[in-house]
Amino acid sequence: MSVLFNSEQSGASQSKISGFQRFIYFWINNFRQIITSLGEIWRTPVASTMTILVMGLSLTLPATLHIIVKNVQSINVEWDSASEISLFLNEGLSEQQISSAVRRISAYDEVAELQYISKQDAIEEFKNLSGFGQALKYLENNPLPASFIVTPTADFRSPSAAKELLAKLEKEREVDFGKLDIDWLTRLNAIVNMLQESVITVAVLLLVSVVLIIGNTIRLSIISRREEIEVMKLVGATEGFIQRPFVYTGIWYGLMGGFIAFIVVNLVIWWMQSALGDISGLYMSDFELQGLSLAEFGWLMLIASLLGFSGAYWSVHRHIKEIEPSLD
Amino acid sequence: MIRFEQVSKTYPGGHRALEKVSFHLQKGEMAFLTGHSGAGKSTLLKLISMIERPSIGNVFINDKSLNLITPQQVPYARRDIGMIFQNHRLLQEHTVFDNVALPLVIEGYSQGEIAKRVHAALDKVGLLDKAKCYPKILSGGEQQRVGIARAVVNKPPLLLADEPTGNLDPELSKDIIKVFEQFNDVGVSVLIATHDLGLIARMKYRTLTLKQGRMINDGLSMTEEMGS
Repeated sequence: MSVLFNSEQSGASQSKISGFQRFIYFWINNFRQIITSLGEIWRTPVASTMTILVMGLSLTLPATLHIIVKNVQSINVEWDSASEISLFLNEGLSEQQISSAVRRISAYDEVAELQYISKQDAIEEFKNLSGFGQALKYLENNPLPASFIVTPTADFRSPSAAKELLAKLEKEREVDFGKLDIDWLTRLNAIVNMLQESVITVAVLLLVSVVLIIGNTIRLSIISRREEIEVMKLVGATEGFIQRPFVYTGIWYGLMGGFIAFIVVNLVIWWMQSALGDISGLYMSDFELQGLSLAEFGWLMLIASLLGFSGAYWSVHRHIKEIEPSLD
Repeated sequence: MIRFEQVSKTYPGGHRALEKVSFHLQKGEMAFLTGHSGAGKSTLLKLISMIERPSIGNVFINDKSLNLITPQQVPYARRDIGMIFQNHRLLQEHTVFDNVALPLVIEGYSQGEIAKRVHAALDKVGLLDKAKCYPKILSGGEQQRVGIARAVVNKPPLLLADEPTGNLDPELSKDIIKVFEQFNDVGVSVLIATHDLGLIARMKYRTLTLKQGRMINDGLSMTEEMGS
């Protein structure tokens, strides 16, 4: 390794170690630096805790938004499959015609269930739900058509398959027109998409700020250890050797911040769970709020450590090169 | 060992620190570098340790031109030069052992080898019993000897010292110079920058004198020449 002297002249190069040993020592040294950098965080507890907390809370927001999107999407999937088709029947059909239609349509492979709602049922339901009960008395005859509520089998519940089925059913003689209520689904999808977009925007902004926070913390740490860095440069430390502990510190910050975010997200879920209990009791009894999966926890930690790494790397490259050793 | 060939150094802003300086320090030689403050002693040492680069001319160490050393090679080249500073530049929050071990840790020695070499270096400067102390509880002379131990721990063939006795009384200064002489005896080349003319006079070593960036004397100490 000696640049100025060949190995016989340089005492430093005597009893040199083999390439393999050098490789081993490189990793031992790295491991030592990883541990030392953890100690470095311990040595400035207040500043480090602040950085880790800011980082953790910054990561919590995108993580929580991600959880919300994930849960709304799961609702979406459940409701998606429950699509029903309403078929409104022509006026003036006889009982026989209707019962033959019921038989014919029930025999479809695609149809799981068929419910007949007569004109009389329809007006009763309308009276109960609309509150126009009194006004209906003034009508001479019942304006509401009779209808079938068709539930498709599992294979035909996706929006596109249900639409095809609707077109097929509308060709039936007795059917005036049919309606597949998927507009609200499209709307919900749009809202989820918008949420997802905003999650990405907010996440990008917060992640940039996390990188800046880590970068600044590392910068302060570099400044406070300026003397040490100068001495290391004077006794022959390479840039990489000096930079590595700072980069490891950044990664530690990232991992700890990620873990804080994980804890906070779980607290938020736990808190929301009890609040959601009432609502889910009203709507869907089987709704369970989904937390972070193990894979998502892994991703969170990976992203957090990458952010810590990039903040530290950026800072170290800017600031350690600037430090020039002097003799006094 | 060290050869300057018509070396000039002009700092940005036009200050001319060195002008056409030439000298040759032989292998295994010990010499003093002297001159008033601002005469260019520090600049000369900075050129050898590659903190600064010459504006014109060539500096050679072991017949290798430093102009050919790339910035990436500088750390490796510095490992062959032991440097000692006026304010010793020890890391106060690390023990004496850790301070001396620093160059070896940087080079990637094993723990066992580091302990062996650090103890040998501390033994040479007579501070073996202080290994576990922190620098601030040591006296000025002891701190300077820790600085020397750090400079020699990886056995460099060349030692540079910048005012190593600057903060010490004459008795301690003599002890420090004796430590340098011990290393010189085993073949290490030594260059000591100092303005302590009394010390130089007692020592009878070759003395390089700088005045306003020029080498005005390259021989035995000034006082001796004047006396003869």
